Amino acid sequence: MSDKQALIQVRDLTKHFVGVHALNGVSTDIQRGEVIFIVGPSGSGKSTFLRCLNRLEEPSSGQIIFNGVNLMDPKTDMNKHRQKMGMVFQHFNLFPHMTVLKNMTIAPVKLQGKPEAEAQKEAMALLERVGLADRAEAYPRQLSGGQKQRIAIVRALCMKPEVMLFDEPTSALDPEMVGEVLKVMRELAQEHMTMVVVTHEMSFAREVADRILFMADGKIVEEHGPKEFFEHPESERLKQFLSKIL
Amino acid sequence: MWETFQEKFYESFIQDNRWEYIVDGLRTTLIVTFFAAIMGILLGFVVAMIRSTHDKTGKLKLLDLVAKLYLTVIRGTPVVVQLMIINFVIFASARINTIYVAILAFGINSGAYVAEIIRGGIMSIDQGQFEAGRSLGFNYIQTLGYIILPQAIKNVLPALANEFIVLLKETSVAGYIALQDLTKAGDIIRSRTYDAFFPLISVALIYLVMVIGFSYLVKRLERRLMRSER
Repeated sequence: MSDKQALIQVRDLTKHFVGVHALNGVSTDIQRGEVIFIVGPSGSGKSTFLRCLNRLEEPSSGQIIFNGVNLMDPKTDMNKHRQKMGMVFQHFNLFPHMTVLKNMTIAPVKLQGKPEAEAQKEAMALLERVGLADRAEAYPRQLSGGQKQRIAIVRALCMKPEVMLFDEPTSALDPEMVGEVLKVMRELAQEHMTMVVVTHEMSFAREVADRILFMADGKIVEEHGPKEFFEHPESERLKQFLSKIL
Repeated sequence: MWETFQEKFYESFIQDNRWEYIVDGLRTTLIVTFFAAIMGILLGFVVAMIRSTHDKTGKLKLLDLVAKLYLTVIRGTPVVVQLMIINFVIFASARINTIYVAILAFGINSGAYVAEIIRGGIMSIDQGQFEAGRSLGFNYIQTLGYIILPQAIKNVLPALANEFIVLLKETSVAGYIALQDLTKAGDIIRSRTYDAFFPLISVALIYLVMVIGFSYLVKRLERRLMRSER
């Protein structure tokens, strides 16, 4: 395997729900350390695309090569590969019956066989970084939305993933809590974590993204670096989209 | 008046050591309820797993069909009829202690109700919990075990407790297969003394005390589980 090979190669990915073509042949390469943002109108398939990457949504056809392994091969053990693909959800999805610390340590302990004490030490270090070390013994219901999402991010990081998938991570937050979550994501990007982010936060995309994909009707219509993307859109669709949101 | 009262009491319980009917009957009722409840939990759990796995993943089609048939038949017929069929049809020629027959019949019956309670609990947990578990790398079974079931069981605990209270009371029809449970014990005393008041009222009181005691224990357990509630 060459070093230059992309971390994730997507080839002609499609997803059909009954009567709806959510994805119509999506292909792209995601390089190690790259920060990719996916934007587009609602119903464009951007969330579906993201959720197909770790097969939380089952693609109808196409290929996803992750670390040189074809994830669409029926013989591939998806559970193993999902450990290396962290995911952050719009609605956080913390486990309400576990403390913050337990939320973070259960996967490394049960799946990677990490000793409890070591997992806790690593979790505490991550909590420290996002300023929530004092909430380690709290239950999710005792946290604000912004705190929950920061916990959800570090919970995924506990598995030492090679890529982080963000599915509209700030869409369910009160406006005053968006900043604290974006700050954590910004730091991750600066540490060269590979990230794929579906979002409506355009200014954040412009600031952090290495590349922005514009999706519409289940296809990638355009992809550019952030400057190009906002200043020299090519297609009518993107021009229209940008004129509505900027 | 007071004298007849005393006399009736004496006849009902003291004379010929008739209180022993009550004690033996209570023991039988408790044994049947306890083991039928355990059987109901095990059976109900398995059926609930089959049904919800089918609902969530589309797998286990054949098993799901069998489970549905079981639920329909058991919930669609009276428990006393099921009890008699198992005793007089299925085990007609077999010489089996009726207490085992009763445990089997009430266990099979309870399992159907427990299954639907647990399945309802599983289906009530937000799909996002499943997705979060799977996204971390847990397989379906692990996600169920570590994430979904602890929440689901907690939610359905009151309904499960209610089911066991119903079960305790339902075992009172065990007399139909000549098992001397608590109710039958009261009835035997009544037929010996020709007085219905003492045996039947005391039987009713014993059921009532057991149900109240059990309800209290469940309340306490619920409160303990509540500490981590959302």
